Order: sequence, then C-alpha cells, then structure tokens
Amino acid sequence: MPDQKPILKAEDLSKRYEDGVLALDHLNLEVRGGEVYCLLGANGAGKTTTINLFLNFIPPTTGTCYINGIDVTRDPLEAKKYVSFVSENVMLYGNFTARQNLDFFAKLGGKANLSKEAYYQVMRRVSLQEKAFEQRVKNFSKGMRQKLGISIAIIKDAPAILLDEPTSGLDPKAAEEFLEILAELKKEGKAILMSTHDIFRAKDIADRVGIMKEGRLVMERTREELQYEDLVKIYIDYMKSEPLTV
Amino acid sequence: MLKTIIKKELLDNVFSYRFPLFSLICVLLIPLGMYVNQVSYAKRLRDYSEQMRLAGEAVSALKIQDVMAGTVAIKGFRPPARLSVFTQGFESTLPRFYEFTQDGFRPGESSGGDESIFSVQGKVDFVFLVQMLLSLIGLLFASDVIAGEKESGTLRAMLSNSLPRDKILIGKIAGGYLALWLPFIIAFLIGIIILIVGSFPFFGGDTPARILSVFLSVSLFMLIYFTIGTMVSSSSAKARTSVVAILLVWASLQLIIPKLSDMVARIVYPVRTNTEVSLEKSLLARSIDTETAKELGRQLDLVFGAAGPKAPEDENSPEQKKWNSVKTRIQQSARERKARQFGAIEETYQQQKRRQQNLAVNLSLISPSAAFARFIADICGTGELERTKYIEAVRAHQNALDNELFSKVDRTVMIRPNGETMLAFHAFPVDLKNLPKFSIASASLQDAFKENWRSLISLAFWLIAPFAVAYVRFIKYDVR
Repeated sequence: MPDQKPILKAEDLSKRYEDGVLALDHLNLEVRGGEVYCLLGANGAGKTTTINLFLNFIPPTTGTCYINGIDVTRDPLEAKKYVSFVSENVMLYGNFTARQNLDFFAKLGGKANLSKEAYYQVMRRVSLQEKAFEQRVKNFSKGMRQKLGISIAIIKDAPAILLDEPTSGLDPKAAEEFLEILAELKKEGKAILMSTHDIFRAKDIADRVGIMKEGRLVMERTREELQYEDLVKIYIDYMKSEPLTV
Repeated sequence: MLKTIIKKELLDNVFSYRFPLFSLICVLLIPLGMYVNQVSYAKRLRDYSEQMRLAGEAVSALKIQDVMAGTVAIKGFRPPARLSVFTQGFESTLPRFYEFTQDGFRPGESSGGDESIFSVQGKVDFVFLVQMLLSLIGLLFASDVIAGEKESGTLRAMLSNSLPRDKILIGKIAGGYLALWLPFIIAFLIGIIILIVGSFPFFGGDTPARILSVFLSVSLFMLIYFTIGTMVSSSSAKARTSVVAILLVWASLQLIIPKLSDMVARIVYPVRTNTEVSLEKSLLARSIDTETAKELGRQLDLVFGAAGPKAPEDENSPEQKKWNSVKTRIQQSARERKARQFGAIEETYQQQKRRQQNLAVNLSLISPSAAFARFIADICGTGELERTKYIEAVRAHQNALDNELFSKVDRTVMIRPNGETMLAFHAFPVDLKNLPKFSIASASLQDAFKENWRSLISLAFWLIAPFAVAYVRFIKYDVR
C-alpha cells in the first residue's frame, strides 16, 4: 500500500508561456511513495511541462509544486535533493564510460566516494551488459542509455522519480526490462511520476493514470477502476472529443 | 561539488577529438615560434657585437680634422631585445643605430631588411600565435560549454540535481579553461627548454620575472577569450549559432577593431610624415645657415674692410677682437633661432602625432587583443616604451656629443657681399678617446606595468564583463 504522505504534489499548477500558450491549466496532482502515476496525453498536452515545473526548469504562472513537502519554486535546491529524473533520451557524456557517467551524476546527486563495485552493482541490477561498464557511452544503443539513466536515478536513491516518456523508441524487450526496474523501485517505496504515450504499459505498471488534454488533467483512474474499464477506449474518446475552451 | 564539475569539464574536453589536435598545434607551433625567434635574436646579437667593434675602431681612428671637415658621423647602436624571442613588436622596424653629426642625429637602417619574404604575411612569433590561434581555440572550446550541453541534454540532467547554477558556470569555465591551459603550459615549457639549450640568457637580470609575466599574461589572455566564448555560448540556444557568433566576435576583436582604430585615427587626425618634417627642418636649417653666412660676410667686410682679415690673424688686434665678438653674437643668435624654430616644428609634429596615437591606442584598447599585444611587447622590451626610451637616449647622446665634441669645433662659413665664400675653422682640445658612450636605459618591468595601466584596465574589463554577462544569462538560461 502506498504511503499516505504525497511525495510529489502539484497544487493549482498553471503555466502560460511568453507567447501566450497555456501549456498547463490548474493541475492538481499527488503521487505517494510506492505509487506509479502515469500521465497520458497527446503531444503538447502538458505532460513534459508538468515535469519541467517539478524540476524548476521553468517557473509556474500560478500554483505550486512540492517535492517531499518542499516548495520547488521557493527552495529548488533543497527540493531537488529528493528527486531523480530520467528523460526520453537519457542525456549522458559520450566521451565518458558508463561508470564515469554514473560516478559524475552520483556525485551531483550527493553520493560521493562510492566504490567501483557499487557502480557495477547498480549497472548489473538494470541488466546492463558487463562489457559496457567501461565503454564510452557514445556508442550505446537507446536501450542501454535508458538503463544507464535509470541507474543514475537508482544510485541517487531519491524518494521521487520523474520520467519523461522513458520507453519511447525502445524495442519491446528493452521497454519491458525498463518497466520491471520501475516496478522494483515502486516496491522500494519510490513515488514515480511518468509521462508516456504507451497506454498498454501504463495500464500494466500504473497505480493511477491521468489523461491530459490541452494542459488540463481531464481524467484520472486508479488501477482498480481500470480493471473494469478499457483505458484505450477512454483515451481515444478523450482525444477525439471537442477541444476544451480555455 | 565544484571540484566534480571542474573535473568532469576537464575530462570531457580531454577525451574529445579537439584536445589532441589542439595539444599538437600548441606543442608544435609555440616552441617552433620561440626557436625561430631565438635564432633570429642570436644572429642580431652577433651583428650588433660586430658593428659595435667596428664603430669602436672608427672612433679610435677619429681625428679632430675629420670633425672640422664635418664628415664625421658617430654611430650609436641599439642592442637587440633579449625577449624579442617572444614578440618582435617594433624590433625589426626600429633603426639598428642612429648617426650623430654636428647637424643632429638621423636614423640608420632597420633590421627589417633581413626578414624572410614571408614576413609580408605578418610576423609569426609566440605572441602572434597566442593572439591569433589560442584566442580562436579558446573561443571555440567555450562555444559549446553551455549551448552544446543544452543541445545534448546533459545540462538538464545536471540541473535536475541540487546544484546552484553559479557553481555550474564557474566549474565549467574553470574546467574548460584548464583543458586549454594544460597543453599551453607544456608547449611553453618545451619552448623555454629549447631557449635554454640554445644558450638563451634565461637567468640574467630580471629575465625570469619578465618571462613569468609573459606566461601569466598569456594565461590571463586565454582565460579572457574562454570567458568571452562562455558568454556567447550562454547567450545562444544552439551550439552552431554560438560558433557563428564566436567567429564574428573573434574577427571583430582580433582584426577589425585594432586595424580600424589606426585607420580612424589617421582620418580624424592626419599627421605629416617624418620625411616631410625632416625636409622642412633641413630647408629651414639651410636658409638660416645661408642668412647667417651672409650676415657674417657682411660684418667681416665692415670690421676688416673689403680687403678682409690679414693672414696670419693677430688675435690681439682691435679688429680681431671686434670680429670675434660680432661673430659670436651672430652665431649665437642663429643657433637660438634654429633651435627655436626647430623646436616649434618638432613640438607641433609631436603634438599632432601624440594626438593621433592616443586616439588610435584608446580605440584599439576596446579589443583585449590589442591591449594584450601592447602590454606584452612592453614586458619584452619591444614595445612603445622601448621606442620612447630609444629616442630619449638618442636625444641625450646628441646633447652629450654636442657638448663634448661638436661644440669644440667652430666652423664658420661666411658669404661676403662680393659673393666670395670663406670658411674658417677653430678647434678646442677634445679627448677623442673618452667620448660619451651611447646607451639606452631599458624600461623596468615596473615601468611596463605603469605605462600599460590602460591596457590592464581593458584586460580586466574583458575578464569581468563577459563573466558577468555569462552569469546573468546562465542564471536565466532556458535549459528545455
């Protein structure tokens, strides 16, 4: 059972860009420890904007994001201690080996002086091939990079993990492996917020699913509710429905 | 945390393809530039020693009759600047020597005539390489320091951690700069070893302090260009845009501003050429000399009558006494008139020249490259300071020779009303073996710093301002 205390919380969160586009419209959302929350929606629905706001990459127009109870806008450095981030295309230093990348980001995440073996263990946990540990990542496949990305999140050991379309472009096997790791992290009590287009896998892994359209969270279902409803149909119905009036 | 970022930035650069390329360029070109200039310096030093020997012999063979005949020109040679191995500056354009005569001094040939035909494309020395190459490489290294990381997405990954942006910026500048600095240090040390092996007098006088100043100045110069590159990078959303902007910045600071400032100054304050001024002085001297000779001739006739003085002259005769008094008065008046009018011409010329030069220098100091070149040339004794000291020494030596030699010989030219020209000589005793020696009081390192306060301010500005802009831009930088 998820903890009751929300680790990720968006309160009346809105974002209007300088060009006038309303990317996020009064979003309210909570993700508790041991819970996976999947945000579904078409491109431009506001999923990535939500993640960017949680990471303080952009300031909100209204509302507040909380990570572990800390206001992200007010104290971003403190808030970011409690969150890891995995993007669609995991960003790594191509000239560094997998271990060097892991070492660098571990140190940034506050985990200094870890042994080489500790890094190897994490990489083994995400099923990265042993021979890749000391290889430069510029030749890594997308799957390998995603595994290394989740290794970085694991090694930081933050209570919250934000994932921005992490399985996009992965082959089915790699995507499956990736979700298995997420399931393990969920069991460890991490609060996971994942934006994705992958309805089928979202249904498999999510404790709750939210559908976003034109910046609004238009629907939210729990895992239990989805046992009796067809998520694909709901999603397509929302996408086909009339544009929202903003 | 800062150490982690610096280390990452350093290693990321070291592992990149451009690092070995840059290292190779540094290690090949910098020591080579020093070696070529060391060979050139050694050659000029040999020439100088030989010319000094010949000049010494010429002075030893000097007779007072030669001075009376007005055919003597005593040469004063300038020793080649030791640190011209780093920058040529004015080294090849300054006259190797000046000739001192009764009528004043005139410059001898410069050492520019010995230069390779390729000098027409610009002299390649250590400072030239630093100015042209290291500045560009510094900018290019910094071009992707922010924009490149944004494009690759690693900046988002970094900023998703509890990491202040100012620390990231400082870490990136420090790490990136170190990657640029390390190959330079190695190349510089190799160059110094080559100089020492080539018998360069490294440990003489304040040479080590000057070389250290050169090293620190170049290090500062590279940091300036790296910071400018970071500023451009933090103002660009894409690495490619950053590279284009950097090339424009480089061309402006390196080529356009320094060249344009001189052109603008020449247009705003046009100045006559040195040859024109010399010609005017020479015409004036001739005119005064002729007038004086005519007046002396007229007075000679008035004192001695149309028959003129009887030979041998009776020093104690009343006519002779009167003539001596009149002659001294006319010659003194002519000397004063010449000095006054020459002084006025020279003063006007120097004033105009100073005004033009000041404008050119002030405009050129907008560029850190020009400021750096001026400063380092003065440290190496091949800059403006050396040129000023040289001409000061020349003037002082001319005065000394006037007092000790030329004034001891009285040559009087007289043109009598009937058109007859008469020449009279009188020489006082002169110790020809102990004539004043020509020497230049070299500017101290302290002088180089004092005289270049404007250059130093320019360099400080170019270090602080781009960092401040980069800081402000990066704090608000959109990492999405």
